[in-house]
Amino acid sequence: MELRNKKLTHDEFFKQREEVLRQWPTGAGVNLEEAAEYLKKVPEHKQFSKKLRYAKENGITLAQPRAGVALVEEHINLLRYLQNEGEADLLPSTIDSYTRQNRYNECEVGIEESKKAGRSMLNGFPAVNYGVEGCRRVYEAVDLPLQARHGTPDARLLSEIIHASGWTSNEGGGISYNIPYAKSVPVEKSIRDWQYCDRLVGIYQEMGIELNREPFGPLTGTLVPPSMSNAVAIIEGLLAAEQGVKNLTLGYGQCGNLIQDVAAIRALVEQAEEYFKMYGYDVYLTTVFHQWMGGFPHDESKAFGVISWGSATAALAGATKVIVKTPHEAVGIPTKEANAAGIKATKQTLNLLRGQRLPESKELKAEIELIKAETKCILDKVFELGNGDLAVGTVKAFEAGVLDIPFAPSKYNAGQIIPARDNNGAVRYLEFGNIPFTKEIKDYNRQLLEERAKYEGRPVSFQMAVDDIFAVGKGVLVGRPENMR
Amino acid sequence: MQNGKTVVIGVIGADCHAVGNKIIEHALKEEGFNVVNIGVLSPQEDFINAAIETNADAILVSSLYGHGEIDCRGFREKCNEAGLKDIILYVGGNLVVGKQDWKEVEKRFLDMGFNRAYPPGTDIKLSIKDLKKDLGIEE
Repeated sequence: MELRNKKLTHDEFFKQREEVLRQWPTGAGVNLEEAAEYLKKVPEHKQFSKKLRYAKENGITLAQPRAGVALVEEHINLLRYLQNEGEADLLPSTIDSYTRQNRYNECEVGIEESKKAGRSMLNGFPAVNYGVEGCRRVYEAVDLPLQARHGTPDARLLSEIIHASGWTSNEGGGISYNIPYAKSVPVEKSIRDWQYCDRLVGIYQEMGIELNREPFGPLTGTLVPPSMSNAVAIIEGLLAAEQGVKNLTLGYGQCGNLIQDVAAIRALVEQAEEYFKMYGYDVYLTTVFHQWMGGFPHDESKAFGVISWGSATAALAGATKVIVKTPHEAVGIPTKEANAAGIKATKQTLNLLRGQRLPESKELKAEIELIKAETKCILDKVFELGNGDLAVGTVKAFEAGVLDIPFAPSKYNAGQIIPARDNNGAVRYLEFGNIPFTKEIKDYNRQLLEERAKYEGRPVSFQMAVDDIFAVGKGVLVGRPENMR
Repeated sequence: MQNGKTVVIGVIGADCHAVGNKIIEHALKEEGFNVVNIGVLSPQEDFINAAIETNADAILVSSLYGHGEIDCRGFREKCNEAGLKDIILYVGGNLVVGKQDWKEVEKRFLDMGFNRAYPPGTDIKLSIKDLKKDLGIEE
């Protein structure tokens, strides 16, 4: 079967499905009709799509943590704690990294070792190993909408299991859960596999069950220029919509400059809506803003500063939800107390800013226009490379370096572009690789970086990007030379 | 200027954190090392095979995602079996799940046979200084 951006037929999907459900013994526990009956009984307050609609219509920004541990009971305790003590609005189940690579045998080791050690030896919840039975126990034990959050290039079995278990949202996409999360998975393969995940949601939708899908916005979370992440988000949104997804949340990871971050969210919504309209998709669109995804300060008070800044930006941008970091971010996976503390700091900030939006200004307008113009250059070329087919175009665009994600591990990513901050901390393109920007856009990016270089008394170079990567962890946004700190 | 020493670097297990890995490569090259970067998502065998093929002087293992403890078990024994008897082994990153006492975590990894272990947030320059000392390179 040739890759194309076309809704999978009944036969294509169900033939593949037989194979998917045989990937691990728990697959046998998934029954589509029974799952649909189960999903129809999910009360409104536990439905992801409903809660997001409510938030969007009422101008509220919701807070959602990340969280997952190896054992079911411990995982339930953790989620309940984040619900009751942390006052989370939406719950996650972060899936462990072995599951993300479909290494379920290693998950079994992790589960057994965790039982013996009395602490989680896995960095998330191995949902596939527990199957529908274990995942439903989690769903039934909590009182908020539940979403799988992971980083799985082939999430077909995982998606089958979590949706059949009453988890009403799934994060990921054929680009965003491949390029930043894998080394040697062809883009063509992950796009196909996520077409399956999206089609599954589309099939439930056709049975009257509205599940939410959320492409992963921040990608590598490391100085990704907004136009590149917005281009990927719009592509993944369109691919999902083709498979019948109707409730979609597009994401963006905080870069750190307020004007740029607000502009990125606004540009994303406006431009995505234009593309959905242009291609005839009827999609209910919401947004997610990720608090700073790069290196964090070790000092917990300083970390709360970073968390609160992200929360303020999310509120002022009018994002539908914000993904929360914790004061333990610099050292790894947080305790439940630290996780709850991050949510509380976030919600306090969101509540104080409720109803406020960053007002229009010349600077904001210019930034929105720049991001849209850059994004359009990229998307036009992707469509051109695919002769109008977005799936084919995406594969070719990665081959050609037209889509290129900074600092990504995938060998299918060109890795030619280099980003760096301008003098105000906004992320710009330092090296363009094969990104098809107009001369005007290239010159403007360059000019902004030259201004910083002049201020810092050094040439524009890769060292700027390296310094920027460590800057937030050291307490500042822009990585200045040592003698200027 | 090359210092004549070869170092294998990579991120072990099912871990895909690529940013630090690229920066470590950059920093080691600046200090004159011949760097063999096997990248993210690398099993123990890939580190060992790369070290044998390139006659490496040291292996630097990174782990950022918390599974380091499971992934690193038996690494020293595997090196010994493969004939890499005295190869220098470092490990660093967010090695375990959660904020644990570093002294205990360090001991666990030294007991596994690593020559040195580094806590989260260590500047790579510190590790390179240690590496030069351990390899007998004059500063």
